Amino acid sequence: MKAYLSTFVMRWKMELQYRGAVIGGVVCQIFFGLILVSLYGALYRSKPQNLPLEAVASYVWLQQAFFRMLLSTDGELLDKIRTGGIAYELCRPIHLYGFYYARMLAQKLLGSLLRAAPMLAVALLLPRGMGLMAPVSLAALTVSVLGLLLGLLCVCALENITMALTMRTLDHRGVMAMLNLLMMFLAGNILPLTLFPDSWQRVITLLPYAQLLDTPIRIYTGQYALAQAPQALLIQLVWIILLVALGEWLWARHQKRLIIQGG
Amino acid sequence: MAFIEVENLSKTYTLRKKRAGHFTREKSQVKALDAMCFQVEKGEILGYIGPNGAGKSTTVKLLCGILTPESGSARVNGLIPWKDRKIHARQIGVVFGQRSQLWWDVPVIDSYQLLRDIYRVPEAQFTARLQELTGALGLAELLNTPLRLLSLGQRMRAELGGSLLHSPKLLFLDEPTIGLDAVSKLQLRDFLLHENQAHGTTIMLTTHDMEDISALCRRVLVLGHGKKLFDGALPDLLAKYDTQRVITLRYADGRGLPELPDHCLVSQDGQDHRIVYSPDHLPTAQLMAALQTAGPIQELTVQSQSIDHLIAAMYREMDL
Repeated sequence: MKAYLSTFVMRWKMELQYRGAVIGGVVCQIFFGLILVSLYGALYRSKPQNLPLEAVASYVWLQQAFFRMLLSTDGELLDKIRTGGIAYELCRPIHLYGFYYARMLAQKLLGSLLRAAPMLAVALLLPRGMGLMAPVSLAALTVSVLGLLLGLLCVCALENITMALTMRTLDHRGVMAMLNLLMMFLAGNILPLTLFPDSWQRVITLLPYAQLLDTPIRIYTGQYALAQAPQALLIQLVWIILLVALGEWLWARHQKRLIIQGG
Repeated sequence: MAFIEVENLSKTYTLRKKRAGHFTREKSQVKALDAMCFQVEKGEILGYIGPNGAGKSTTVKLLCGILTPESGSARVNGLIPWKDRKIHARQIGVVFGQRSQLWWDVPVIDSYQLLRDIYRVPEAQFTARLQELTGALGLAELLNTPLRLLSLGQRMRAELGGSLLHSPKLLFLDEPTIGLDAVSKLQLRDFLLHENQAHGTTIMLTTHDMEDISALCRRVLVLGHGKKLFDGALPDLLAKYDTQRVITLRYADGRGLPELPDHCLVSQDGQDHRIVYSPDHLPTAQLMAALQTAGPIQELTVQSQSIDHLIAAMYREMDL
C-alpha cells in the first residue's frame, strides 16, 4: 500500500511544479464561466425556466471550477505507453492498475483543488443569479463533498479504462478525443444536465459520466433533496465498482499481449 | 540448477505492413527469438551481443517478465518471470540505456525514495545502500537535482543507482554506455565490476560496444536472427576471426614499397604504407625480410584488427 501512497505523493509534488499552469487555467475557466452565466441570464430574461437561474449559474461555476478533474491526462503515462517506457513499470513488484490509479488520483485531486479554491471564491462574490449560491444546507454541503470524492474515484476509473485502450491502439489521440467529447457532454460541462428534458435526464443521470460532477452539484444546489442523496451516492458507488472491475480486466488482458515499442 | 535457465524459448511478433488493398493490411510474422537455449551461473557476467534486431532486447524483456513467450521455458532463480512477475521483480534490476525510470521533473532523491517504497527496502538498509552507491557512482552532487538538469552521463549513473537500490541478485543492462564519454564509460565499467565482485550480482549485458564486452565479460553469447550462434569465451570467439594483421611503415628516404609476395593488400597515405596480410598464408618474418631488404625503415608498427572490425567480419560470415 505504501508504494501506491508514495506514488500519489510523488505525482502530487510534480503537479505542484506547474503553478503557472494553474493561474492560466483559473483565468481561462473564469472567462468561460462568465460567458456561460451571462448567456443563461439572457436566456432566462427572454424565457424563464422552471429551474431557478441561481441553480444554473451555480452548476456552471462548479463545473468550471472542477474542470481539471474531468479533463486532465497524465501526458507522461501516455508517452510511456507510446514509446515503450512502460517497460520499466512492468519490471516493478507492483500492480500496474493501482500504480496508474494513484498517479491519476493525485493529478486530478490536486489539479482541481488548486484551481477550484480561487475560482469558487470569485464566484461566491458575484451578484445573485450570476455567481455561486450558498449550499442549501450544511448537511447538503457535507454530502456533496462526499459525492465529489466518489465522483473523483469514478473519473479515475474511467481514465484508467482510456489508458488500457491506449495500450491497444498505442496512440491516444483518436480514442481520447472521442471519449472526452462524450464525457464533457454527458457530464454536464457543455450544457448543465439539469436543463435537459426530464425524460432525457432520467436516463442520463444513471450513466457513469453523470456520477462525476452532476450528482454532487445537484446535492449542493438542492436538486437532489437530502432524502434522495443516499440513492444517488449508491449509484456512484456501483459505477465505481463496475468501472474499476472493467479497467482491471482490460489492463490484465492487454498486459499479456503487450508489445514494447521502440526496441 | 543454474541461476538462469532458458530452454527453447521462442517469441514471434506479428507485423502489420502497409496496405495490400483498401481495407486489408498484409501481415507478416517475425521470429524475434527462435528456440533459444542457454544457462547462466550465479555471479557470472554474460555479454549478450548481436546486430540490431537479433533478439537481444526481446530476451531481456522475456527474462524480466514483461513479455510472454509463445513457447519454451525460462527460469530465473527458480521463478518463471512472466508467471511470477511481481515476486520475480524483487530479485532483478534493469537498466534500459535508452529509457528513463526516474521522474523527469523532481530531484533524483525523490525518485529513489519512491523506489524504496515500491521495493519495500527497510530504511536502515536503504540508507546504507544509498551511501554505498553514492560513493561508488559519484552521486553526491546529483541527488538533489531534478533529473531534467543532469547531463547524459550523470543521468546514466543516477539510473544505474536507481536500479540497484534494492540490491537485486540479477542485473540486466541493455546498452548502458550508449552515448557516454570515455571517462563515464570507464567509471561505469569499474563500478559494474565492483558490484559483481562485492555482492556476487549476476549481470547480463547487452551492448554494441565491444570495449564494454572485453572489459567486463569472460563469456559472450552471440545472437543472430533469434538464434544462438556462439557461446563461449571472448578470446575464443575472436581467435576464429582474428586472422589478419596490419603493418604500417615508412622508409627513411620516403621510397615506395618493393615487390611483395601475394596475399597482401597494400594502400598508401603520403609516405606511410599500409599492408594488410594474413600470417597464416604469409609468415610475418618472411614479409619483414622482404620489407627490410628494400631499404632503411624509419617507423614500423604491427597491429591486429580492431575488435569492431572482427565483429563486423563475424556478422558478415554468419550472414547477419
